Amino acid sequence: MKQAGVFLKKNKSFAVFAALALAIVAVAVFAPWIAPYDPYEAVMTDAVQAPSAAHWFGTDKLGRDLFSRVIFGTRTSLAAALFLVAVISVFGTMAGVAAGYFGGMVDSVIMRISDMMIAFPGMVLAIAVAGIMGAGIVNGVIAIAIVSWTKYARLARSLVLKMKNRDFVAAARLTGSTTWHILWRYMLPNVIPTLIVTGATDIGTMILELAGLSFLGFGAQPPVPEWGLMLNEGRAYMQTAPWLMLFPGLAIVLVVVVFNLLGDSLRDMLDPRNE
Amino acid sequence: MRKQFFAAAALAMGTALAGMSAAAAGDTLNFGCFSYADTLDPAVLTNSSWCLTRYGIGECLFRFNENMEAEPYLCDSYEVSEDHLTWTFHIREGVRFSNGNAVTPSAVVASIQRVYDETDPEKGGTGAATPRTYMEYESMTADDEAGTVTIVTSKPYADLTGRLAYPCFCIIDVSEEEAGKNIGEEGPSGTGPYVVEEFAADQYVLMSANEYYWNGDVPFENVQITFVDDDTTKAMALQNGDVDMVENITSASALAQIEAMPDQFTVSRASSARTGFAFLNMDGILGNETLRQAVQMALDHDTMCNITVGGMYIPGYSILPSALDYGYEELTNPYSYDPEAAKALLDEAGIVDTDGDGVRELDGENINLNYVTYTNRNLSDFAQAVQVYLSQIGIGVTIQTTDADTNWNLISAGEYDLGDQNWITVGTGDPTDFLGNWYSKSESNFGRYANEEYDAVYESLLAELDTDQRKEDIRQLQQILLDDGVAIVHGYYTSSMCSSKAIENASIGIADYYWLTSEITPAE
Amino acid sequence: MSKKQLIRRLFQILIVLVGISFFTFCLTYLAPGDPVRSMYAATGTMPSEEVLEQTREELGLNEPMLVQYWNWLSDCLHGDFGTSYSQHKPVAELLLDRLFPTVRLALLSLALMLAVSLPAGVAAAVWKNKPVDYLIRGITFLGVSMPNFWVGLLLLYVVAMQLKLVPVLSIGTGFEKMILPAVTLAFAMSSRYIRQVRAAVLEELNQDYVTGARARGMKERVILWRHVFPNALFPLITLLGLSLGSLLGGTAVVEVIFSYPGLGNLAVSAITAMDYPLIQGYVLWVALIYMALNLAVDFCYNFADPRIREKRQVEG
Repeated sequence: MKQAGVFLKKNKSFAVFAALALAIVAVAVFAPWIAPYDPYEAVMTDAVQAPSAAHWFGTDKLGRDLFSRVIFGTRTSLAAALFLVAVISVFGTMAGVAAGYFGGMVDSVIMRISDMMIAFPGMVLAIAVAGIMGAGIVNGVIAIAIVSWTKYARLARSLVLKMKNRDFVAAARLTGSTTWHILWRYMLPNVIPTLIVTGATDIGTMILELAGLSFLGFGAQPPVPEWGLMLNEGRAYMQTAPWLMLFPGLAIVLVVVVFNLLGDSLRDMLDPRNE
Repeated sequence: MRKQFFAAAALAMGTALAGMSAAAAGDTLNFGCFSYADTLDPAVLTNSSWCLTRYGIGECLFRFNENMEAEPYLCDSYEVSEDHLTWTFHIREGVRFSNGNAVTPSAVVASIQRVYDETDPEKGGTGAATPRTYMEYESMTADDEAGTVTIVTSKPYADLTGRLAYPCFCIIDVSEEEAGKNIGEEGPSGTGPYVVEEFAADQYVLMSANEYYWNGDVPFENVQITFVDDDTTKAMALQNGDVDMVENITSASALAQIEAMPDQFTVSRASSARTGFAFLNMDGILGNETLRQAVQMALDHDTMCNITVGGMYIPGYSILPSALDYGYEELTNPYSYDPEAAKALLDEAGIVDTDGDGVRELDGENINLNYVTYTNRNLSDFAQAVQVYLSQIGIGVTIQTTDADTNWNLISAGEYDLGDQNWITVGTGDPTDFLGNWYSKSESNFGRYANEEYDAVYESLLAELDTDQRKEDIRQLQQILLDDGVAIVHGYYTSSMCSSKAIENASIGIADYYWLTSEITPAE
Repeated sequence: MSKKQLIRRLFQILIVLVGISFFTFCLTYLAPGDPVRSMYAATGTMPSEEVLEQTREELGLNEPMLVQYWNWLSDCLHGDFGTSYSQHKPVAELLLDRLFPTVRLALLSLALMLAVSLPAGVAAAVWKNKPVDYLIRGITFLGVSMPNFWVGLLLLYVVAMQLKLVPVLSIGTGFEKMILPAVTLAFAMSSRYIRQVRAAVLEELNQDYVTGARARGMKERVILWRHVFPNALFPLITLLGLSLGSLLGGTAVVEVIFSYPGLGNLAVSAITAMDYPLIQGYVLWVALIYMALNLAVDFCYNFADPRIREKRQVEG
């Protein structure tokens, strides 16, 4: 406990941003207790009302409480982005470690697949995949995952290549450690910090990409409370009810800023070059 | 010093840009509208022919007036035989196509003939237009000396003039196609005030004045049509001065904003004889009568029309607009808004939610209706509202929002449960064709609906020439459709045309076929 | 790059190309729905099952997957990417039509981006941890955190609607139509590049040769612009290549907001219309353009790098 206190004191900015990020996660988790209304509850007769005491952010075209929808939107966006980053970092890292450690055929195959995926500019393929598999938040996540894992694979591979020929790995091999043991005991622990930093910075990017996909109509589908979709719906009221566009946009910016800052402070903390 | 320089530079750039964005000079009309077709070939899509008459490129033998009555236009007089089978039309003399060729009776026959040939698979036609729905004929002959076209129809028609006023039969010069012109991409030569100079599908049409126009002066040298799919963008473009007129701003709030500036903009509105509705696909899960009835009772159309779409639609229960003279008042609506009764009905029929996920099951599967819609004239707003109402009685809805063509294709192919459309109900001056959409022997039975009683009344309507009896048949047909709940009737659309004070006389009529007319002129 | 490396690289590219084409083929092969029905549906007709079957046979859709892939690939190699369902035109023609506007927009936004991010990045590095640096970094932070479609809509609202500086619409691809989309694209990109430039310049400033030059009494301005700046800029070429690549794919979201007639907009409408041949052609094309660009950047880099290194050593 005391150690943790010292650690946080030493890394003040990290502490602050981690707290903020946790607060956002808390909003997502406790959304039902924070939001004053059910985000799906449509009171059609109260459509497009300006912000008021009853509806802090106003209501949308179906008379749903915008504040509640923005709060629940945290759930959708954050869950999808975290899941996405988890999937691509785990899968990408595994592929990259395997490619770097085993080399040869394994390396060639994995790297060529990764070359292929890189050739498809991210958003474009994501839209195509989402469009063909059918629009929906899950398909959107899959689509973005397909094009995004390669970054982690390349990163992990280059880290492993650097380490592969270091003395301690050679020693471990000589003393008869199994491949699994070497990968698990030596490679992974050295790869993970860098990947965590990358992952943390990626959360913001992923939230933006998912929102973009939904905005175009290939991500979340109505009536799911998702920020990108809400912006798309609010767009028609840009001139007459600007709050419909303002609040979901601000929510995105706020969350992305916090996660980007968290990623940066993590990097400052973990990056060996700063020591 | 430096600051001043920047300020000056910024100002200069601003002025330069502002200059560029100002509406074009007085001899050019800028029009912003939704793109309904990617080709201008009237045989490829019915919508393409609508584009021709709306843009002032093509005209028909007859033209609808303010009261949706067909009046002679390219034809100046006609005669019909006692049996309503032989129709003789005298073609107006001195009319020329925009390329200078004379509009002879042979040219008229060739033009109409082409739509039939290009849509006849037996003759290798691939077009999707449906001329046969409007007129089936035995023979069509031209007498260039007498200046007449004689059409012998396959069955008696109470009135053929309204049918020939339908855009599908707009008269274009087909000899150009033989000379190698691609009508779909370059636009045909018609008899309207404007001629296509350049057409970029889903981007723009550039047109110039038809120097051979027969019906008075053409007010603008050039017309630029810019396609804008998004409703709000359309409104913004008008407010910003990018365009001089836009059709159908369907966002009630944006329209209200423009109406609130009467010194800058003119708004013309008209009840349009259009019904916004969703087909119910009887081949799918909605073939279940109880489910259909529950769906009908779950919807609060008054709220949807007045609030969700802000009064852009007038609520009503019949498939035909209440403003038309087809006995709306005498109809009885068996399904008023009553969600509790809808729930009770479903519970009674054993269509209940057994797994507690909030969605009822039918035959062991969650009810999830596939609702295809598109973003035109508030249809997708209705779809979302319907989704909300149906979820309140435990029926799931998945909305698929596509473009107009795809939506139409999905409905034609039967790949839907609920399929949104917004149609002119009296396209040929009379609702017979529209009601044919539920006639089981028709090619256009998009709802896969079959009801013997309906078919019988419809067949008698087809043969009936007496006006009063026709009205009575039509009333009966409406009641049957209403009882069977074959469509979700959203309401009756009010169309609009908004224009800036730079131009005059831009208006919209009950017949939605004429947008760019030669009556629209630069402001004095 | 030695000759052997070059051959190896080209071989790798060939494999990747085959992979890309196969993946693209699978995209639509595995897509739900029956292509023959979609094809007929696009013409508004509903033929009988027999006709459908016959058409399938004629189009070779009953062949095994690999045979179909091979047929499709050989058509593509002959320049035939099929015919669009929704627009009834050859896919290649539609793509070509949209390529030029997209290239123009991409180049303009790159130019805008460089015009902003180079000076800003250098300034942030030179005045590290001074107010200027904080200000610039703060702005870049917002820049990378704002969704570009939101920025685009706000720009549209403020610049076009309130200030009336640019049109909301304009026909075709006139310059005034490109301003807002280019600014929107450049906004997020600049933020990323400013950080890159700043980091690169800082790293370069820490190099020995800079210390040496300073010791020799060389003017700070000369060091910065003659030596540090060019060296720092060089690694950005790869990044620029990547950015250009993704811009050329058409930036769907921005193109849609401004209804700009580029490739991205075409792709979105193709997907909305479930126009599989067009989607397929588009994905394949963009991947190829992207690969070609990357290759060019690679060569460029390999070709120029030794000289740069040499120069650095001489000066150091």
